[in-house]
Amino acid sequence: MHPQPLLEVDDLHVEFSTADGPVEAVAGVSFTVGAEETVAVVGESGSGKSVTALAVLKLLDGGRISRGQVRFDGKDLAPLNPKAMRKVRGNDIAMIFQDPMTSLDPLYSVGHQIVEALRLHRRVTKRAARERAVELLEQVGMPDPRRRLASYPHQLSGGQRQRVMIAIALACSPRLLIADEPTTALDVTIEAQILELLHDLQREYRTAMLLVTHDMGVVAETADRVVVFYGGQVVEQGPTAQVLRNPQHPYTAALLAAIPHPDSAKERQLPAIPGAVPALRDMPAGCRFNPRCAMAWEACTHEVPPLYELPGGRTSRCLLHREGGGSAVVAPPAPPLSAELAPAGPPLTTRKGI
Amino acid sequence: MIEYVVRRVLYGLLVIALVTVFVFLTLRLIPGDVVRLQLADAPGVTQEQLDARAAALGLDQPLITQLFKFLGDAFTGDFGISFQSQQPVTSIIAERLPITLQLGLMALVISIALGIPLGLLAAYKQNSWLDQSLRVVSVAGLSIPNFWLGLLLVTYLAIWFSWSPPLVYRSPGEDLVSNLTQMALPALALGVSGMAAIARMLRSSLLEVMRSNFVRTVRAKGAPERTVLFTHAVRNSLVPVFSLIGVQVGGILGGTVILESIFAIPGMGSMIFQAVQMRDYPVVLGAVVVFGAVFVTVNLVVDLLYGVIDPRIRYA
Ligand SMILES: Nc1ncnc2c1ncn2[C@@H]1O[C@H](COP(=O)(O)OP(=O)(O)OP(=O)(O)O)[C@@H](O)[C@H]1O
Ligand code: SF4
Ligand SMILES: [Mg+2]
Repeated sequence: MHPQPLLEVDDLHVEFSTADGPVEAVAGVSFTVGAEETVAVVGESGSGKSVTALAVLKLLDGGRISRGQVRFDGKDLAPLNPKAMRKVRGNDIAMIFQDPMTSLDPLYSVGHQIVEALRLHRRVTKRAARERAVELLEQVGMPDPRRRLASYPHQLSGGQRQRVMIAIALACSPRLLIADEPTTALDVTIEAQILELLHDLQREYRTAMLLVTHDMGVVAETADRVVVFYGGQVVEQGPTAQVLRNPQHPYTAALLAAIPHPDSAKERQLPAIPGAVPALRDMPAGCRFNPRCAMAWEACTHEVPPLYELPGGRTSRCLLHREGGGSAVVAPPAPPLSAELAPAGPPLTTRKGI
Repeated sequence: MIEYVVRRVLYGLLVIALVTVFVFLTLRLIPGDVVRLQLADAPGVTQEQLDARAAALGLDQPLITQLFKFLGDAFTGDFGISFQSQQPVTSIIAERLPITLQLGLMALVISIALGIPLGLLAAYKQNSWLDQSLRVVSVAGLSIPNFWLGLLLVTYLAIWFSWSPPLVYRSPGEDLVSNLTQMALPALALGVSGMAAIARMLRSSLLEVMRSNFVRTVRAKGAPERTVLFTHAVRNSLVPVFSLIGVQVGGILGGTVILESIFAIPGMGSMIFQAVQMRDYPVVLGAVVVFGAVFVTVNLVVDLLYGVIDPRIRYA
């Protein structure tokens, strides 16, 4: 589809060193984001979405990329030294975080923080930078932008602070915007405004966006493609409409099935599916999803499923595709589901029609 | 803002008055009275002579009358006449206060000038041997009494280097080198606990700030580590440390009582020490009021400066 993707994350592994030794929070993640494309990342809490997003900019605190590549415009960022990396941050790739209440420095004015972002990468005078800051604040829908320049973060609401964060992110017209749950901390009406704003500005600035979200409704409305994370891996990815309509991986299917009203998929929380994400230290052998998978059979407990390429630019990490060859998820081919393997999963019959 | 300052000043005056009353009553509870201390050694003193002396000092009045007279006069800046030297307490204090302010300021500067770099270094080299040894030094600095540290310093400098500071006071105008040499050790002894407190608090504060979300935002903008650290992290980490300064001033003022006596510095501290020994009530009380005023003023200034470094502070 896209001749050369803007961002190619290729077999990314991220390791954190902890008191009890290293843990691998991201284990072989691959996905791409094309120029001007919006890619949504979904998955349960702890599945490695934020770690992956931070790894792209190498902002991991206490963690490191232990294997794999993060190619931006064809160039691998993983081996870049800090100085070269700084030229990428905020300039080529900008990031917006989940918690706008704590993401701005409380001791500096909004103007200072936007001007700082500009002047780190552009040789402009302070005056010109301030004018540009006013313009940016206007674009992000801040009322009375010129006066707001002198405001301090504590004088702004959560939504306004997130607008400032967006202004900072767009200051140098980045080609990729990473937004890690940018609206989770905001209330519903503000959330809709901010998402719309992001969507509009993304078009205006012709920026690609990697949007981490919990909201399947947002995915459906904004994303060109969706990447589903589970246990530090990508389990499924593909064009949004197809994935939502016809999920290929049992985990995606379970996620979608757990949405209470599929017609209005506007749930703020990621739908809950039975069981819990395993801890990084005791990932199950074989398929990481097998203890919770309704489709699991014996092979799933010891065979690690590879990513299967499916028609239509989709991939899925499930052993079912070995024989199924990319068909929709159906009953397991080998020994049928044992109660032991899927203790909490809903009965198979309810999964028909996925 | 002005309302805030006025309120703080009134509140400060109340605190000083209460402390004065407390010290006034405590002084009278210590055994031994000034008349006997002054005249006891003179041979053949009669009871009449003792009574006359007491009356001359105003000590024959009821306690409550004496207290209110002192408070009333003190409010107009008159602390009475020293029982000992017969000079007005106000002029004695006027002579001695600058000396103690110099000593206190030196102690404060030492604690800040050493505490901040040590705290930053400890945070920067977290868990290194440097951090570990700084931790030990900090704990020691916080727990060793300053007068004991002063004694250790003079003793060991004398033993190891046969050096001792000058014991005759020279004002900075007369002989700056001699003045600073005499002040250096007591200032160091007074500043060490403040240094330790600042270093420890700054270390933990900076480590916390470095993990905060806004530091990550600054990094995400592509800022060099220098900007992350000095423009954003250090400035934020200093906010809680700043409040230590007000507290520290109290400790320094208290510490001058013994340290000035050890190092023969003719300031407020050694004056209080002698005055307490001689039951020179007006001098002790005058000093208490002045120390109280210094403490209250410094804390007010610190709180006002807070608003300059932290825009979130509102005075109401
Ligand atoms: N600094 C760290 N040190 C050790 N482990 C970490 C660190 N940061 C994240 N992890 C671990 O990495 C895993 C993935 O975390 P991550 O924050 O990426 O999850 P997430 O998918 O973003 O979840 P959420 O939806 O809650 O934001 C978690 O198990 C987490 O405990
Ligand atoms: S490999 Fe097995 S356990 Fe894993 S998702 Fe597929 S069916 Fe379920
Ligand atoms: Mg996250």
